[in-house]
Formats: sequence, structure tokens, C-alpha cells
Amino acid sequence: MSSSHEAAPSQDFLAEEVRRYHHFIVLALWLAVVTGAEIVLIFLPIPVAAILTILTLMSAGKFFAVILWFMHLIYDKRLLFWCFFAGLALAFATYAAMIMLFSVDRIDTRWFS
Amino acid sequence: MSHDSHHAPVACKTELAPERSDLGLIRPDRTTGLMDWLTTVDHKKIGILYGAFAMFYFLVGGVEALAIRTQLARPDNDFVTARMYNQLFTMHGTTMIFLGVMPLSAAFFNFLVPLQIGARDVAFPRLNAFSLWTFVFGAFVLNASWFFEFAHLAGWFNSFDWHKALVYTDFAPANGWFSYAPLSGTFGQNGQALRFTGVGTDFWIIGIQVLGIASLAASFNFICTIINMRAKGMTMMRLPVFTWMTLVTAVLIILAFPAITVALIELMFDRTFGANFFNPSAGGQPVLWQHLFWIFGHPEVYILVLPAMGIVSEVLPTFSGKSLFGYPIIVFSGAVIGFLGFAVWSHHMFTTGLGPVPTAAFSLLTMAIAVPTGVKIFNWLGTIWGGRVRFTPPMVLALGFIWMFMCGGFSGVMHSAAPADSQQQDSYFVIAHFHYVLLGGVLLGLMAGLYFWFPKIFGRMPNAPIAYIASGLVILGFNVAFGPMHYLGLAGQPRRTHTYHAGNGWEQWNYVATIGAYILGIGVALAFVNLVWTAFRGKKCSNDPWDGRTLEWSLPSPVPEYNFAQAPIVATRDAFFEDKHGTKRIGSEPDGGEAGVHMPSQSWMPLVASAGFLFIGFGMPMMAMGVPHAGWLVIGGLGVLFLGIWLWALEGPGGYMLKTPAASGAPVPTETVAH
Amino acid sequence: MSDTAAAHEAPTSTGIDHKKLIMWLFLASDCMFFGTLISTHLLYRKLFPAGFTDAEGHQRFIQNLFNVELTSFSTFILLMSSFLMALAVSAMHKGQIKSFRRNVLGVIFFGLIFLGCQVYEFTHFYHEGLTIQNSVLGSTFYVLTGTHGTHVAIGVLWLIMMYFYSFTGKLGGHMGALDVEIAGLYWHFVDIVWIIIFTAVYLVEYLGPNGIWGTGLPVVAK
Repeated sequence: MSSSHEAAPSQDFLAEEVRRYHHFIVLALWLAVVTGAEIVLIFLPIPVAAILTILTLMSAGKFFAVILWFMHLIYDKRLLFWCFFAGLALAFATYAAMIMLFSVDRIDTRWFS
Repeated sequence: MSHDSHHAPVACKTELAPERSDLGLIRPDRTTGLMDWLTTVDHKKIGILYGAFAMFYFLVGGVEALAIRTQLARPDNDFVTARMYNQLFTMHGTTMIFLGVMPLSAAFFNFLVPLQIGARDVAFPRLNAFSLWTFVFGAFVLNASWFFEFAHLAGWFNSFDWHKALVYTDFAPANGWFSYAPLSGTFGQNGQALRFTGVGTDFWIIGIQVLGIASLAASFNFICTIINMRAKGMTMMRLPVFTWMTLVTAVLIILAFPAITVALIELMFDRTFGANFFNPSAGGQPVLWQHLFWIFGHPEVYILVLPAMGIVSEVLPTFSGKSLFGYPIIVFSGAVIGFLGFAVWSHHMFTTGLGPVPTAAFSLLTMAIAVPTGVKIFNWLGTIWGGRVRFTPPMVLALGFIWMFMCGGFSGVMHSAAPADSQQQDSYFVIAHFHYVLLGGVLLGLMAGLYFWFPKIFGRMPNAPIAYIASGLVILGFNVAFGPMHYLGLAGQPRRTHTYHAGNGWEQWNYVATIGAYILGIGVALAFVNLVWTAFRGKKCSNDPWDGRTLEWSLPSPVPEYNFAQAPIVATRDAFFEDKHGTKRIGSEPDGGEAGVHMPSQSWMPLVASAGFLFIGFGMPMMAMGVPHAGWLVIGGLGVLFLGIWLWALEGPGGYMLKTPAASGAPVPTETVAH
Repeated sequence: MSDTAAAHEAPTSTGIDHKKLIMWLFLASDCMFFGTLISTHLLYRKLFPAGFTDAEGHQRFIQNLFNVELTSFSTFILLMSSFLMALAVSAMHKGQIKSFRRNVLGVIFFGLIFLGCQVYEFTHFYHEGLTIQNSVLGSTFYVLTGTHGTHVAIGVLWLIMMYFYSFTGKLGGHMGALDVEIAGLYWHFVDIVWIIIFTAVYLVEYLGPNGIWGTGLPVVAK
């Protein structure tokens, strides 16, 4: 093992890690809160469309929060974000299109319901 | 860990002292011969192995194609049975696509990409070996189904009551290379899982699954290599076009293959565990299989053709003595083709009744793909225009590529119009179209690549007269075989039908097509014999016989293990050509001097890990067939896979130092020093 | 991690480590993988909102099977395991191997709880009459959540091996921290897939009297 890798991390690096540590704690709390809110939300007597919109936004928020902070994308090189985002966007677009292509009025589902 | 003798630089790896890995096992670094080939992590050797297997399977697929054409030569022929015919066209398509074209492209990726970007190896050498062996075992499993079929035909299985488990007893796959559900799936309720086809489909499912893993692993590796291991000065817009097309292809593979992976898992659950994904009796939608298959399948078409386009983009400038016309536009067009490839899958499904809006949308998007393709063709023509053209064998094949691929493209645009497509669907017109693209395009491109880079790979020059004759036979035979199919298709001859009656007006052109197929077969066989002969006995040639343009031609032929004694520093596109004839020289980074060049250690573990797929590959179909205890074979296979990966992780990367001739001041000695 | 490891760390063209780049590429690919599975499930929910018929021939709705408390609990557990994983990676960056071990043990423990919940859920649903064979719903639900569970199990196995490997003293320095970070990326990804599954597969079934897929058919009481 070469000694350069064993060298103690610099002060800047440690300060950065401490800062991240606090971000992680705050984020974990938020994730718990949002998950709680989601569970309450589904039982609220408001229009389904509104609930669905909020649910989608909330889970998208959680999704990107984990990617950006827990998975360090906000600290890392931007190329990594675009690598991942390409797959994510393509998956979303392709399968949204595919689900839309399956129109209920074109498929006779009566026999199986 | 200390600097033991293993890490002292040596001139030849056989001089190394034996070294134990972190596991305490001796690393196979010093091996030669068969052991060396089995444990190699050298991208050049892996590339050669990919190429050798691919050429073998090309011949297998070719024999299957000739059997099909022989059957169709006369009306009401009975050269093969209807069942055998189904198996032949299924395995012909599957073999050519997954075991012929893709691995041959992979052979070029492996051999060329590190050389073209000025790197010493790929980013993950052991993962690269894993990809190779996984491909080899997947291909073996897929083709092993033939042995079961032949044993069945010979009556070996007659004492068993196979009909308990199977409706029909196809032992080789027989549902086409797309394996459409519900034919490939099941029917019946509550997990009865009654099957339309025999165990061949299960071999197909697991075989494609394993091949997919091989392609995925290789593609992650290549994207990483191209993005991360470029030599100094090798910016993205200085990459050779072949490397660019490799990158686009690899991106397509990692984003397209998961769709087929999941579709295969679902189909496997249907057949083996009685699930209902595509089971029409329980509400499953067989058309979902078509969607998932083509979400993979259409990008797959570009996965097949883009490497060939990359090869042609290297061959044309070299033999025109000009730089590639419109480099940025060619690269951009390649990327656009790749991107659009994901947005057109439903044009394979116009006749399933998508509805007017989706049909119109997919129709327009499909037509749009003709634009970047056309841009590429005009740029290739612009490259030749005004050049000093040398009609060498690779150039002849590359010109053939442009011409034939264009013909395939034209009939492709005809398919993009949905009303026309609904007339052409499932007719020989479609066969004519995709063979013009895949044979006139991809095969000619790959053959151009073989003739172009063989002198670099083996340091020997293929026999030119034979090469011209072979190229001529291939182009002639191919046109005679597939040209008439345009007519046959429009005259109504259906695909995938084992025979036809006399009196439909199809006899004459089917006969002509069969003659063409045999001419084509002779041409390909001649070319392969020529190439294999060259590899062992061909006339030695110089390091740069074509006046090449990219970095690989600056190296000795065959290329030394460490590729570049000194890592190059690139100042321009076509760096080597500029270095020879222009003003910008290739710089070089200081070499390791006495310390030598770091080489990755060889390893058994990729081979061990991928051997697990062999057990899984035989276990899964046997399980579906109802063979008792076959599940244990699958679990054992997973165990071997896990063990291989585990030992691989724990053995440590290792590595040794190799002296370069520059550092040792002398050419690499061949005799082994006692150790 | 011998002296030769240094040679592997030759600076890359982009400054991104090979291992990190390949992991992100794998995750991009895995988006398509789970996208296919999730869309298969949603597609069939859209076509057959009525759920499934159990062994007694009763029409059943899936939200009557779901247990929102259990699913919320296992979601919470997985989110917190992600938090601990982030702390474990952070500890490795700071070279605090003991803190790393503590956190990673927490991740393993939470992962096992999640898997336990899933085993319980599968057994419960099976006894309630939802099987992989008796309906499309059963097929898509079990294969989707089962595949996710397999990902979790692989992650747990990976982290267990990393935990024991840390005692050999070879897990250290820049390369060691990188290896942990890669495992962390995988673990977080499994977590975000569950965030989607939790919403798209579980929560939406509770919307409206008969679920978002609203059928108008009466809900059969348990």
C-alpha cells in the first residue's frame, strides 16, 4: 500500500464531510416526514386527481433527493448525472408511451374481470 | 506487500516468478498455449477469440440458411419437414444476429477501441474476459438444443412420455427469432401452463438471457473505456469514427437489453412457473410481448448496423486519401440514429391495430430516421469525391456496403408508410429488405473490416486475388438471392412457411434465389478460408500497409501485449496520418523506463463465474421440461456464478511489469530465462 | 490493494473513477429494467382494475390485502437504511473504519428486516388467495416486488461480505472508500426503486372507494 493513500485527509476535506453529514441527517428526517405525509394524503377526502398529482411530486422529490445527496450526484461530476438521467428519462418516456398505447377500449377485458 | 520478484520488470511474461493472489492461488500470468487463451485478459486476444467464435457461428447460420433455400428451391419440396424448417429459420435468425454479427462487432470493439484511443487495455480487463466466456457458454447452450433435437429424431427419447409436459416436441427453438407470444408462451388457467411449443423455446429464452448478460457487461466496459481512458489530447471530437460508433452502440445495448431481459424473465415465469404475463386464457396480453421485444428489437437493429457504419467510415477515408468528409455531422448522425431508434419500435407492429394517432406518429418518426442515414451516405460519397481512390478488397466491400445498404434503406422507407407496410407485412418483401440491410449492409461492412484490419491483427496480408473473387461472389450472390425476394414478397409469398404450391408464379424466382444463396455461401466460405489461411500462413506485411490514419497503424503488427510502449499524446484528428504527412506529430508521455509497463494479471475467475451459466442454461430448460431435480442444477449454476464472482473480488487485481524494447534497449527476447 | 493498485489509478480522462462511472452506467440500465417491470404491472392494473378471484371464487381487490402499516414500516426501514449507508460511505471517506462497520451493520440489519417484511407479506397474500398462477395481478405483483427483493438480498449479501472484508485490513484508503461508495450507490438505487414502487404499486390502490383504477364493482369484505 503506497503511503499517499494512507495520508490523513486534509482539513478542508473533513470540514466538507461534516457539512455533508448534516445534510444527510436533515434529508433523512425529510424523507421520513414526506413518507408519513404520503400515507396521510391517500386517506384525505380531496379529489383523486389532486392526490395523485401531489403523490407523484412527493415521490419524485424523494427520488431525486436520494440521488442528489445520498448518492453524491450534487457533489460529483455532472457527467454522472447525465449518464443516469439518460436511462431514467428514456425509461420514463418509453413506458409512458407503451402504457398509453394499451387503450382499454381496444382490448376486450370483460372475460377476465 | 513487498516488491517481490513478480513485480520486477521482465521482458516476457514467461520469465515472471510465480505469484500468489490474495487468495493464495497461483496467478496464471506465466501460462502459454491453451491455458493462456483461457485466462487471458488481453483485449487483443479476447477480440481474436470473439472473432473466431463469430466466424464459426456465421458458418453454422449459413448452413442453416442454405438448408432453408434448398427446401424452397422447388414447390412442394420435402427436403426438410415443416417442423425442422421452423427450427432452421428460427436458429438461422438467432444465430446470425446474436452469435454472428454481434460478436464479430464485439471482436472489432475489443481489438480496436483501446488501440484507437491510445490506451493499454480496457477499463476492466477481467470483466472483458467474463463477457467473452459468458457469450461462449450462452451460444453453446442455445446451439445444444440441436443435439437434443437430433437425439430425439434418432429415437433416443422414445421411451419417455414427453407429451405429458409438451404439446409439441420441438427440442430446438421454433418460434422465430422474436418468439412472439402466445406461440412461445402458455395457455390454460390457474397455472396449468400448457405450452404451444417444446423445450426449444426454453433453450432460446435462457440462451438469449445469457447472451444479453455478456453484451451488457461488455458494453458497460466499453463506455467506461472510451469515456475514461483516452490518451492525452484525444478529445471526444478527435475520436476515430469507429470508436464513436462503438460508444453509441454500447449505449444502445445498455438501454435496450433490459427490456428483453425482463420480457424473457416474464416469459420464463409463464412457461416454468405458470405465471400469466402473456397467457391469453387468463387475461395476459400477448401483444405486450411484441412491445417489449421491439423496444429492445429496434435499437438492436442499430446495434447491428452502427459498428459496420463505423468500419466503413474508417475504410473510405484511408483508401480515398482524404479525411472523412463532415466528421462532426457523421458522428452526430450516428448519435441521432441511436436516439431515434428508441422511438420507433411500434413500426414493427402496425398490423396489430395501434390506432390512427400512434400509427401516424411511429410512421413519421420512422421516416425521420432516413434523414441522418442519408446524411451519412452523402458524407461517405463526399469522402470519396475527388479522392485518389485505391480499389483494395476492403474498399470494394465498403463501396458495396454503401450501395447495398442504400437499397435496403429505400425498402425500409417503404415500410415506414403504414398502409404499404400492412401489405408487405410477413411477406418475402420484408425478408428482402432486412437482408439488404443486414447482409448488404452489416456483413459487407464487417468483411471490409476483417480485410482492413487483418494485417494489423496478425501482421499478415490476405491474398488479394482471392479476396477480390470472394467479394465479387458475395455481392453477386447476395443480389441474386435477395433481389428476387422483393418481387416474391409483392407477389404474395408469405414468410416462415415451409413450402408453397406450384402455380402461384413463385417457382422461377425461388429457384433463382436459391442459386444466389449458394453463390453467396461459396463467396463467404472462400473469404473465411482466405482469412483463416492468412492468420496462420499469410505473407508478412509492414506495420502500415494501407497508409492508415488512426493510432493503431502506428504500432507494430502484431501489436505487442502492452500496445503502446509510450502512451501517445494526440494533437489532431487522424493523428497518425498527420504525423506521417502533416505537421502535427504524435507526442509521447515518458515511459516507465526501467520500471516498465504495468500489465493486468490473468485470471481463471471470469471463466469460472461464466461457467455457472452453463449449468443454469441446461438446468432451466430441463426444469421446464419436467426433468426431476433439474432445479438443483440451476441452483448449482447460481452457486458457481456466485463463487466465481466472490473469488474474483477477493483475489485482488494483481499485475506485473513488462519491459518495453525501448526501456530494455533490445527487442523482446524469445527464450525463457530460468526461474 | 497491493502496490500495483496505484498503477490502476492512472488519472482518467474525465477525472471520474472507472468503478464509479461503470456503476452509474449500470444504474441507468437498471432504470430501463425496473421501468419494464413497473410498467407491466401498471398496464395490467389499467386493463384489469378488478383485482383477482381467490380460490373460493370471490372477487377480491388488492387494497383489501394490502396492509398500509406494514408497507409504510418497511418503506421507512429502507429509507433509514439508505441514510445509514450514506453515513457508512462518509465514515470510509474520513478513514473511520469502526464507524463504517457500525453503520454498515445497521444497513444490513435494516435490509434483513425489509426482506423479512416481504417474506411475511408474500406468505400472507398467498394464504389470502393471491398466487402467481391464478391471475395476471399475482404474476406482475410477485415478479415485480420479488425482483426488487432479490436486488435487496444481493445488496445485503454484498454488504455482509464487505463488513467481514473490512476485518482483513485490506479495505482502506482511496480504493477502499471507493469500493464502499459503489456498494452504497447500488443500495441507494434499490431504495429509490422502492420509493417508486411504494407509490405506484401500493399507495395509488387506496385512492377513491375502489382504487384509482375505479371499477364500480363492489368491494368484497375480508
